[in-house]
Amino acid sequence: MFLTITRTFKEAIKNFIRNGWLSIATVSILIMLLYILSVFFIITSIVNDVLKETQDKVDISISFQSDISEQSILEVKNELEKFSEIKSVTYVSKEQALENFKKSSTLRPIILQTLDVLGSNPLLNALVIKANDVNQYQLISEYIKKAPFNNKVSRTNYDEHKDAINKLNYIIAVIKKIGTALGLFFTIISLLITFNAIRITIYTHKQEVEIMRLVGASNSFIRMPFIFEGVIYGVVSSIFSMLILFISIKFITPYVSSVVPTSNLVGFYLSNFWSLLGGQILLGSLLGVIGSIIAMQKYLKV
Amino acid sequence: MIKFDSVSKIYKGDLPVLEDINLEIQEGEFISIVGQSGSGKSTLLKLIYAEEMATTGEVHFNNSLLNNISRRKLPHHRRNIGTIFQDFKLLERKTVYENVAYALEVAGASNEEITENVPQILEIVGLGGKMKKYPHQLSGGEQQKVAIARALVHTPMVIVADEPTGNLDPKSSMEIMQLLIRINSLGTTVVLASHDKFIVDKVNRRVLLLENGRIIDDCAKGKYKNIADCARGKNKTS
Repeated sequence: MFLTITRTFKEAIKNFIRNGWLSIATVSILIMLLYILSVFFIITSIVNDVLKETQDKVDISISFQSDISEQSILEVKNELEKFSEIKSVTYVSKEQALENFKKSSTLRPIILQTLDVLGSNPLLNALVIKANDVNQYQLISEYIKKAPFNNKVSRTNYDEHKDAINKLNYIIAVIKKIGTALGLFFTIISLLITFNAIRITIYTHKQEVEIMRLVGASNSFIRMPFIFEGVIYGVVSSIFSMLILFISIKFITPYVSSVVPTSNLVGFYLSNFWSLLGGQILLGSLLGVIGSIIAMQKYLKV
Repeated sequence: MIKFDSVSKIYKGDLPVLEDINLEIQEGEFISIVGQSGSGKSTLLKLIYAEEMATTGEVHFNNSLLNNISRRKLPHHRRNIGTIFQDFKLLERKTVYENVAYALEVAGASNEEITENVPQILEIVGLGGKMKKYPHQLSGGEQQKVAIARALVHTPMVIVADEPTGNLDPKSSMEIMQLLIRINSLGTTVVLASHDKFIVDKVNRRVLLLENGRIIDDCAKGKYKNIADCARGKNKTS
């Protein structure tokens, strides 16, 4: 048994090397497939991150009239928190709001000076609402308008943010649709190409398989080296694909970070290194093995 | 050892290739099967190494029936037989040494057996110096010698040779035939199919003439040219 396994393994490695150009061609196609899929995977997760970050930044705030007590505002807060669409409601007192405002406007000293001169706080107590999903703000805003506590509300900023929120919603929907379509398209096409390339590689050994049968090799003895060969294709291609991926990420990072400053491609690559490599090896070998088995079936007459 | 009992072979929707073949081959025999192309020689050999199955009748090998041999047993059956073909059928991606070693590997031979037997058998066929060459680096005659070495290395009971000299020049053909005769003299049964009367005459042993899938003649000691004599009763086997 051990003898067979070591022989099989040696045989597969020899075949891989002696195939020369055919191996190179098959591996190249496999590298291309794995590379495209990884790039797609990375783009998808980065876009998702950016979208999520942007979504998290979106909120609407209800400012209450200045004579409304903190107590009754908190009652409204409790009321709102009952809605499943609402992720969180935060009470922001006007003092806190001023504090936040001062922090965020450090670059505009004139405004700060004005505030000092004014002496009093022009801001209002408010509730900041975050929804679970960006397209639920419309619904929430409509509810607030009709709610019994609406007479206490000075204003909500939904209408000001409405266009931006809708636009964001639209963009997210479009990106998701395009992403899914492109992803499916690439995956199917490259799977087919790769699959075929592997089958062709095996088909060229048709005569070889026939001879092996004549010499008295059992089907498994014939098949195993080819299956191992499939695994070798997967492993070699994954390693190359990871290498190329790293180089292209290094190259593209300056351009990406000028557009999306928060992105960290190299960091993403490194922190996902093992899962990327593992996934590629798994997919590559699986394709290699399935391709071999299907191609072999024909000649082994099983 | 090999027995054909009223065997016919018909490929799907075609005329019969072999019809009513009754034949017995004894251990240690050297039998030449002659006849024109399409007379059914190759098919008869294929029935022996179970590449084809008889449509009707029975084919026995070493007292076991080959008609519906299972896929599991087929490789074991093949290991009893060494096959040699007109087109050599060597593994192009393997060296001379590896080609011969493969026949031992499939039977699960140990590494020691392989390193001992392969060079020895290659020495016997006269290719001791070319073990690391690939088939395409050899002449036709040399390639056929590799095939013979491969057929012999696992000491099979029978050597089946289908037109082994079909692609070779007369000198190489003679060498190959001498090898086969020598192998036979050491006790291995040889079944040869050929339409080359020169080499059949050279062997001067049992000759079987096939025509349109039927056995026309069976001479104990025949030469191609006097098979007709055989038909008139000279040297006829029982």
